This record gives sequence, structure tokens and C-alpha cells, in this order.
Amino acid sequence: MDAGFSEQTRPAAGDPITEEEALRRLRLTDDPSAQYYAAWWLGRNRSTHPEAVPLLQEALRQRRPRDPGAGVEENAVARNAARALGKLAPAAVQAIDDLLATLEDEDHGLREAAARALGELRAEAAVEPLLRRLAGGPSVAGAQQPGTPRLQEPCEALLEALGQIGVAEPAVLAVVTPFVEHERPLIRSAACRALLQLTGAPDWGQRLVALLQHPQLQVRHAALMDLGAAGWRPALEPIAATLAENSLKLIALRGLAEQPSASHSEAATVAVLDAMDALL
Amino acid sequence: MTASPLPVVELVAAVRRADSALGLLQATQDLAAAPHPDGAACLVEVLGFNNPGAAVAAVDGLVAIGEPAVETILTNIDGHNYGARAWAVRALAGIGDVRGLPVLEDALGKDIGPSVRRAAARGLGQLRLAELPEDERRATGHRCLQALLAGCRDGEWVVRYAVVVGLESLAQALDAEMAAGQRQQLIEALGALHADPEEEAPVVQLRAALALQRLGVPHG
Repeated sequence: MDAGFSEQTRPAAGDPITEEEALRRLRLTDDPSAQYYAAWWLGRNRSTHPEAVPLLQEALRQRRPRDPGAGVEENAVARNAARALGKLAPAAVQAIDDLLATLEDEDHGLREAAARALGELRAEAAVEPLLRRLAGGPSVAGAQQPGTPRLQEPCEALLEALGQIGVAEPAVLAVVTPFVEHERPLIRSAACRALLQLTGAPDWGQRLVALLQHPQLQVRHAALMDLGAAGWRPALEPIAATLAENSLKLIALRGLAEQPSASHSEAATVAVLDAMDALL
Repeated sequence: MTASPLPVVELVAAVRRADSALGLLQATQDLAAAPHPDGAACLVEVLGFNNPGAAVAAVDGLVAIGEPAVETILTNIDGHNYGARAWAVRALAGIGDVRGLPVLEDALGKDIGPSVRRAAARGLGQLRLAELPEDERRATGHRCLQALLAGCRDGEWVVRYAVVVGLESLAQALDAEMAAGQRQQLIEALGALHADPEEEAPVVQLRAALALQRLGVPHG
């Protein structure tokens, strides 16, 4: 489940800065908050400027070990740079090596951002390191860190990246599958999403549909996003009937409508669009 | 088997008494099922409770009450809660009363919440123009069209999607009434949304293609 759950104001229209200005701010290495915003801006506006990717790569390298006393601004810039690089696919493929290095960072949040970006870039080179991070399974990689609500690894992002990259080899399935029994429903949802994307097997889609009935709104949100990301058409009616905000159902249904497949009839696509119309 | 319906006062009291999300949903559904103008104020309150299921029921109830609910909705638009505003705009859109036009125009053009703008865009296509005298019908249709044309440039895909839906239904509502130049403008706007190489959301293009097809316009 990517960012974008909460309602956002209209940055593209409301924001006066230009691409040149964003690039200028990203160079201000002594002003992390200017860089933070600039990195976000370039991703949000899908910049195609030739300097955008190299500057974001530099911002990604500009990080230091987490030091609560010194604040976390440096890593915040790197996190936003990673997210922006994910949005600049395919131009950002040249940043894959940097993102792979970031996947080994000790900062949990940075690994999470790097994993998502590698997924968006469909970086097959990331499959092996992603598997290695998850290798211990739910009781190791998926164990809770003492004293924090976090798991040892950002499992959700790692699983989702594997699904998005789409290498459906037995070794990948063997690592992902145990996570469908993780104690946290959000992790189960991410694992089912990845397996649905990798195998297309309806069982995983059915499990996600079952999570649409979960008593926690946050879990229903995740299942909506996951079904949308997989574009699983049989979920059309359950999505429309889920107790959740229309905004999220619309995002999920967009995923169904845009799912490329020769097997979908035009009438089936119109049915998705009709369901979307009814939610506006 | 028809039990005699509870008076509206009691249904309203049940909504106010509800102390769980599910309880609120059920009480709101009961109130909405007895569409009575005296229930409108309570239904409008439910729009602000951050309970999507209950809000859906409340919108359905307000739409069922129809015109007698419009004044209540208009005077209670919540400037601070865009969730509630989106639902109120949806109710206005569903009722289709022309008194809602200024709110819909303003919402699509200026509201910070994409959910509010998208509800407004849809609503601008479904005002009940047929009931109006001819000159008023033309003037109102013109305002709807101008607001929707400006909405084509919205930064959020879901709002552009709703603008497509609004344009399609406006074209169907005005049909023969529309001056040739206006219809041309509307079709061109749909064509531009369909063909825009910068469009980040393919679903907007899919929906624009469907709209053009339904309006009998050939497109590439």
C-alpha cells in the first residue's frame, strides 16, 4: 500500500515553484528542508529534466547513520529522493545501484523507501537482496523489534516490491508464501498481493477479498490498495461494497480498469468504469 | 408484513443515541429509509461523523428527501471538514437542484479536497435542467459547461475523471439545446482528455473514450 491514503491538497496547481527552482533547491546541501521539498516536487511532477535523476542520486547518497541527537533531516532527504526515483521510472534505472546500496542501510525507513522504488523500477537485480532480507520468514524478518511497533524488516514494502518486479520463480514464491500466515493482517495482505501478481492464482485474490471485511479500517484500506495494484477484476463488486471511503475504492477500481489483459472484454471494462462513476 | 413506521423524531433520537460505528450505520439507514424533511438536519450532521458507511446512507436519505433537503444542506456546509463537504456536495449532486449550482461551481474551482471537487464535477453534469424555463436552462447549462471546462486542468486524476463523467451527462442533458459551438467545445475537451500525452492516469483516457463513444463521436 503506497502513500496517498489521506486526502491531499492540490500540490501541482497550488504550488508555485518551477522545475528549475526545484532543481536549484535540491542542490542546497546545507538546507535539508529545501532539498526535502524539492525531491518530493520532482517525483510528484514526474520531472523529465536530465539533471533530476543525477541530483536525486546525490541526495540519496547524502545520508548518515541515524543519530537522534543530530536530528534525522539528512535521512529524510534520502527517503524522499528514493521515493522520487521510484516515480521517475523508467528514466531512473541508472539509480538502481544506488537504491540497492540503500536497501542495505541500517535505517529501516530508508530501506522501506528503497524497496518501494526498486519495485516501481521493476529492478530484477533487486530480487536477490529482497529475498535475502525476507529469508528468515515471518518469525525472523517478520518479528517485532523490541520496544517499537516495527518489524525487523519493512516486510510490507519488501513483499510488495517482489510482486511488482514480477519474477515468479519458485525461490521467490517459497520466500513470500509463509508471510500469508503472518500475525499482522497488513503483512498477510501484502503477501497475498505479491502472490496474486506473481501467479495470478485466484486463491490469493479471494484472501484479499476476505480482508475487505476486516473490522479494522486500516486493513480494509490495505486490501483495497492491494487488489487495485494487482488489478484483480473478480474483486469489482466486493470493492464497491466495502465499508471505506470512496476515494480509496476509486483508486482500487482504477487499478482494475487499467489492468492490461487481452482476455477482458470491453463490457467488463465498462462495468468497472460504471462502478467508478457511481462512487464519485 | 409492514410494521407501522416509527415517527421521525424517534429515528432521529436513535441516530443521536448511537454509540458505535455499526449502531450509527443502522440508525442512519433507518432514518434514511423514512425520507422525511424533518430528518434532513440530522442526516446532514451524520455527514461529518467520519463514518463512511453511515455517510453513504445519509446521502441516500438526503437524495430521497430531495428538494426539501436542499436549504438544510446549503446552510450547513462545513467549511472545516472536507470529508463532510464532499458528502454534502454528493447529496446536492444527487438531488440535482439548481440552487446547488453556486456551491458546485465554487467547489470544483476552489476546494482543496479532491473528493469535494470530484463530487462537484459529477454534480455539474446532473442538475435537473429540463424543469427550467428555456432561457434559464441555457444560461445554467452554459455555467456548468464553463466550470467543467476549467476542471479539465485539475491536478488530480480523479477530478479529471469526474469532469469527463460530468461533461458526458451534461451533453446528454442539454442535447439539442446546446448551441453548436458549445457542443463543439465540450467534444473537443473530451477529445483532449482522451488524447493528452501528458495524462498520468490511463483510466481518464479510457473514460473519455467511452464518453465520446456514448455521444456518438468517432475517436482514435
